[in-house]
Amino acid sequence: MGRYVLKRIGFMIVTFFVVVTLTFIAMKMLPGTPFLNPKLDPTQRQALMHEYGLDQPLAIQYVKYIWELLQGNMGTSFQYGNEEVTTLLFQKFPVSMNLGFEAIIIGAILGTLLGIFAGLHRGKFLDWGSMIFSMLGISIPSFIFAGILQYFLGVAIPLFPVAGWEGASSHVLPVASLAVGVLAEVAIFMRTEMVEVLNQDYIVTAKAKGLSKNAVVFKHAVRNALIPVVTILGPLTAAIITGSLVIEDIFGIPGIGDQYVKSIVTNDYPMIMGTTELYAALFILTIFIVDLLYGVIDPRIRVSGGHN
Amino acid sequence: MMGKLLEVKNLQVQFDIFGAHVQAVRGVTFELNKGETLAIVGESGSGKSVTSKALMGLIPNPPGKIKEGQIVFEGKDLVANTEKDWMKLRGKDISMIFQDPMTALNPTMKVGKQIMEGLILHQHMSKSQARERAIDLLRRVGIPNPEKRVEEYPHQFSGGMRQRVVIAIALACNPKVLIADEPTTALDVTIQAQILDLMRDIQKDTGTAIILITHDLGVVANMAQRVAVMYGGKIVETGTLDEIFYNPKHPYTWGLLSSMPKLHAKTDKLQAIPGTPPDLSNPPKGCPFAPRCPYAMKVCVDQMPAYTHLSETQKAACWLQDERAPKVEPPKTIGVGGE
Amino acid sequence: MTSANEKITNEMFQPADLAQSESEKISENVVSVWRDAMRRFFQNKGALASLVILTLIILLAIFGPYFNHYGANTQDLNKSNLPPKISALSFLPFFSGEQAGVDIYQQHNVHEDHWFGTDQLGRDLWTRTWDGTRVSLLIALIATLADVFIGVTYGGISGYFGGAVDNILQRIIEIISGIPSLILTILLILIMKPGITTITISILLTNWVPMSRIVRGEVLKFKNQEFILASTTLGASHKRVLFKHLIPNSMGMIIVNTMFSIPTAIFFEAFLSFIGLGIRDPQASLGSLINSGYEVLQLQPYQTLYPGLVLCLLLISFNLIGNGLRDALDPKLRR
Repeated sequence: MGRYVLKRIGFMIVTFFVVVTLTFIAMKMLPGTPFLNPKLDPTQRQALMHEYGLDQPLAIQYVKYIWELLQGNMGTSFQYGNEEVTTLLFQKFPVSMNLGFEAIIIGAILGTLLGIFAGLHRGKFLDWGSMIFSMLGISIPSFIFAGILQYFLGVAIPLFPVAGWEGASSHVLPVASLAVGVLAEVAIFMRTEMVEVLNQDYIVTAKAKGLSKNAVVFKHAVRNALIPVVTILGPLTAAIITGSLVIEDIFGIPGIGDQYVKSIVTNDYPMIMGTTELYAALFILTIFIVDLLYGVIDPRIRVSGGHN
Repeated sequence: MMGKLLEVKNLQVQFDIFGAHVQAVRGVTFELNKGETLAIVGESGSGKSVTSKALMGLIPNPPGKIKEGQIVFEGKDLVANTEKDWMKLRGKDISMIFQDPMTALNPTMKVGKQIMEGLILHQHMSKSQARERAIDLLRRVGIPNPEKRVEEYPHQFSGGMRQRVVIAIALACNPKVLIADEPTTALDVTIQAQILDLMRDIQKDTGTAIILITHDLGVVANMAQRVAVMYGGKIVETGTLDEIFYNPKHPYTWGLLSSMPKLHAKTDKLQAIPGTPPDLSNPPKGCPFAPRCPYAMKVCVDQMPAYTHLSETQKAACWLQDERAPKVEPPKTIGVGGE
Repeated sequence: MTSANEKITNEMFQPADLAQSESEKISENVVSVWRDAMRRFFQNKGALASLVILTLIILLAIFGPYFNHYGANTQDLNKSNLPPKISALSFLPFFSGEQAGVDIYQQHNVHEDHWFGTDQLGRDLWTRTWDGTRVSLLIALIATLADVFIGVTYGGISGYFGGAVDNILQRIIEIISGIPSLILTILLILIMKPGITTITISILLTNWVPMSRIVRGEVLKFKNQEFILASTTLGASHKRVLFKHLIPNSMGMIIVNTMFSIPTAIFFEAFLSFIGLGIRDPQASLGSLINSGYEVLQLQPYQTLYPGLVLCLLLISFNLIGNGLRDALDPKLRR
């Protein structure tokens, strides 16, 4: 287990540095420098370039950049009166975290329940109903779903605020828009696993012991069906990050996703770099945690992991 | 033998799959005495496994259902049982050992806990009592170091060891009837003998009656006192072990015995029964074996033969036993009988 | 020993002349794997309906813009924000050209119909919607090509050659899949201009990864089976074994996975265009149309409705067809 974890940590670091390097290269390949303003005369430009270290060789710039990054220094944002990127990220990240967590937890719990339910009633009307719902859930993009919710529950019947991030009621529509995809994905996966597990011989063994239907389902089937569901948490996190870009934009939520889109549109390079790196770190970390979690909850992997 | 423990009368099981009505079991009648071992023999699709599942109330419904018949256990008809009644019975009075020990155990639950479940449920033991008993059971089925292994998961056990665990689960509550559905088929030959020895030992200790479902006549010869031969959802011949092996009357039984590999045979060819079993979604009117029977007569195709009682214990359903039928000698290739 | 049935006569105890072949006959017809899969696919109502809808969308994307004389970029500010109107269907409230009881067409003195209405610049949304659908379908095609040419080859080579080759190729995959594809795309967009080329490149970079994993798994599964050993023994080249034996045997999985990767790619393009990083005005794309519609969602919901509907139908259809194919090709479900 220990060696496996070390190997995975090694890979995480490599992947993260690939992202950082790609980001750095992308910035250097940008058409022109941020100081192409024609009002600047060449000497002023030279002075600025020198001040920001842009006149040094690329290798030195790269090393300096990494060094600064390791100290948590990501430069200053162009948009917000030269505020520190790190400060901005720390300000906005909790909002996005909050949104993402609410969506993923609500979606995962409801999706698991729906999947168990559908799997137990395989082929019946309820199974069909929940699977049609889930099919729509994974097919309809979150930005369209957000529009539908906003129009019907915000405008036509004004139950919830159409925008903002203050108070519980303002969370309902954006969290629902993000959660529905998670819910659908988990429900379909869980149903497949349930159907598979319920056909296993050990379920018959459990019944043959005289256990009640509930005991068979919850003690034997659900636990085994749940384990593989953990594996889709990685892709789901990526989907939540993607989703949050549009959802925060649509609902005017002051999070990091909305900020990211704005930074790209306004060419706020330090901010883009900082956010990109944060997202990459988040994603890589999630995949790592999921792998570890899988090893912890599945006894078959827990033991064999030690030999690898 | 101390009298009947279980009596199955005219049991009929049907599966409705894809619009077809598959008659998996078509009127099976047999009885099981206390402490004996009854073997139900037949090839795949003969209805032997379905019969055994019916005895546990484990026919999945839908698509399956018991159409007719009775399963009388200690004077009570189990066919009328509700799910609750079955739950009280399963694992306590009647238990089952399954074919494939690799899949019959829950991979994410400790072996000890899988044994304890039944004990806590039926014998209302506390956790620690149940754990003690689980360790005893593991020791009884020959698992070394049971105190440690009780905390392990199934994947840490070999195939033979897992089958021992499956047996321990089945024996946990001292059942009166133990149904063993092909208990050795999935195991290595050397392990097979060990498991059979274990089952015989346990029967000697506990007096449990065993219904042994198998297609392996070698296993039958080792274990059973009585044999029922199933074909096409029916019992075609039944008798004591000696009667079936030394004086079989049904051509299908002859075929089964001939197809047993023999050490001292003159030919080096294995005998096979030509043809395939009948399609039970459209069962034949007459004897199900008629299309494959080398002695088939016109009557066999149209009429199902009644049982002919050949002795107190032996009966066969075959038109050859009719006085009008030509006299036919069993083939010389029959395994044990030929020696 | 007397039989209950009196009708049994002595002559019935003559040997029956059963042809030996009768008992050896296989009772069911032999059906080829592919025909069987086709049969089961066509029994799947959802998949079949999706196939019809998809065909319809493809036909409309090809011919739709020619149904009227408006160009996709013909602006006419006099005609801005007209609601949908189809004269022949004007008894239906959502095709009447009226808004809050007022006939907007009369108000603006417009005598021609705009079936899906017009946008803020007075451009015909019917034409623009189908124009945008073309982009989505083009993306679908690119995703398929990326899957088939890059994914299958990469996975096939990785699985077939194994050893060091496999090791290197898999480490590369691990790194690519460790980075969210959104981030790769955004970095790409920074360097290049947003547009169809950028999106195409990003799909070519990332979309084939799941496919290559699946093909690798399939190849590993088949590689050591006898028919492959037989072929190798007979002197077949690597290329031949890989492309004539291993990949055809994985065809089911390849088709199913392609079907599932298409909606992912279509969504991705629509998403990027929606946040303004994909296809930009004046070129139409379903994502950018929906985004423009959002600005007037509360007043003119139809501007979001039609491109949104087409996008959803596309995604649902591809997913359902993928599901249908997966169920049809799953050997576990064969009967």
